[in-house]
Amino acid sequence: MIRFEHVNKSYRNVTILNDLSFEINPGEFTVLVGPSGCGKTTTLKMINRLIEPDSGDIYVNDRNIRDTDRIELRRSIGYVIQQIGLFPNMTVAQNIAVVPKLLKYPKAAIDETVHTLLDMVNMPYDAFASKYPHQLSGGQQQRIGVLRALAASPPIILMDEPFGALDPMTRASLQDEVKNLQQQLNKTFVFVTHDMDEALDLADKIIFMDKGGIVQIDSPEDMLENPATNLIRSFMKKRLAGPDQPPSLVRDFMRTDIHKVSRNRGVRECIELMAHVDIDSLIVTNLDKTYAGTISIKDLKADGKTGVINTPEDGRPYRSSEPFIKTETPNVRLNYDAKACFDVLLESDSRYIVVLTPEDRVAGIVTNTSVAKALADAFWNN
Amino acid sequence: MNPALILEHLLIVLLTVIATIVVGLPLGVLAYLSPSARRPIIWAVEILQTIPALALLGLIMVVAGAGKATVVAGLTLYSMLPVMHNTYLGLSEVSPAIKEAAVGMGMTSFHRLVNVELPIAFPVIFTGIRIATVTAIGVAVFANAVGGGGLGSMIARGIHTQNMRLILYGTLSLMVMAILFDSVMACIETRLHRHRRS
Repeated sequence: MIRFEHVNKSYRNVTILNDLSFEINPGEFTVLVGPSGCGKTTTLKMINRLIEPDSGDIYVNDRNIRDTDRIELRRSIGYVIQQIGLFPNMTVAQNIAVVPKLLKYPKAAIDETVHTLLDMVNMPYDAFASKYPHQLSGGQQQRIGVLRALAASPPIILMDEPFGALDPMTRASLQDEVKNLQQQLNKTFVFVTHDMDEALDLADKIIFMDKGGIVQIDSPEDMLENPATNLIRSFMKKRLAGPDQPPSLVRDFMRTDIHKVSRNRGVRECIELMAHVDIDSLIVTNLDKTYAGTISIKDLKADGKTGVINTPEDGRPYRSSEPFIKTETPNVRLNYDAKACFDVLLESDSRYIVVLTPEDRVAGIVTNTSVAKALADAFWNN
Repeated sequence: MNPALILEHLLIVLLTVIATIVVGLPLGVLAYLSPSARRPIIWAVEILQTIPALALLGLIMVVAGAGKATVVAGLTLYSMLPVMHNTYLGLSEVSPAIKEAAVGMGMTSFHRLVNVELPIAFPVIFTGIRIATVTAIGVAVFANAVGGGGLGSMIARGIHTQNMRLILYGTLSLMVMAILFDSVMACIETRLHRHRRS
């Protein structure tokens, strides 16, 4: 239906398109996607000859468009732009009727088309036909923009970031409507966007462009599965990190900057260490380095003088910290599911959870801060 | 008070405004469509504006003789600037998105101009017409000097005969006329703008 053959374009000395060749089949929803400046809009505008190539050929219905009448060609191709571009001096009905009127369709037929089209997007004729564009919301305006492109029933519709200026809710519903319209009417859509999500949702075929050339042409599924380059991968990051990702584990979120003491250390030593690194609890290990429990400054302060065991080995009074070791702090294994671990933490009275290796050694702890960080990561997707 | 003189004055103004639109509007369109014609057109019309109105009428009278036609021709040349300029300005100010949509839909430049660009620019053009009208009401006083009649002749007679009442009548009539036209047209203008917001 649309075929590019070795199309080149440059402005002054900057190459915009470099030997571009591809084909779009009838009835296909093709999305041109890529970073800004990749040449996708230029490519689109060449199809209706708003921009002429420097060299190469473009065929629409097997006719070289260089040999067609520009005006005639454009009337046979629907065109929707990001800024909508409704004519403010015309009513909704008049806007929709522009191309049919140019093509001199009979008035009754035009009226009927306007009726049908407005019905298709649930904007009743009686309520909307005689409104002016400035009386409509942005989403309604772009609906009319789309209807205007469809009015003369062109086999091809070009859309240049049509939903880029709309809020996310409106954009989502318009995307649905456009996809439905395309399937109902079985037309060839060529759609430009820089939003990979939009491309993946709408496209039958995605053409990914960068620096004036094509990087990959594939169906959304194949592109998700086999992105050709890291650039494409980074464009699809959101999707790739989607539900298929393995569940995150405790080991990804635990803190490892912890302080451990051996259970034979005295109270004074524990207090000094806590004061020195400015923390209020320590992990206590057995002599074979396995986990024994935790010890907190609160307990030491309250009862530090009572649990006295004098072992004057080196002549200094020594109080073992043994009686203060608590084993109530929950512990989990390294490979424990992070979410389950967070639940344990939130439900327990403890301010942290000890993470153990399979050998019962201490690997780290999970705190409220870890939870917050994990949530932030999930939320902002990084 | 002489209604005949007022009507005569109004007739001169009306003819002038019509001629101004007939000549000024196409010049504005031409300035918009053709970048090479733009500078000469704007330059020429601005030069005309710098010639004193009385001198301009005198020059035309020397060539074409005295009479209403001379008056209307002179006033037209003199009040053309706002119409030409606002036409050019209004067309240039049509949003590029609307122009792109129009081109992309397959409108010819004629269709675009008539169905889209001129209607959108019309409120701005109308402002130019209003300024031209009010200017013409004032400048038409000089019509008397080249045999055109109007309220100018009443004022002139007042000056010659040192008749304060005649001078005041003439001047007040002109002022009322100018204010009336200005406010009515300003009112229309506001309504035009309200309906054609983009």
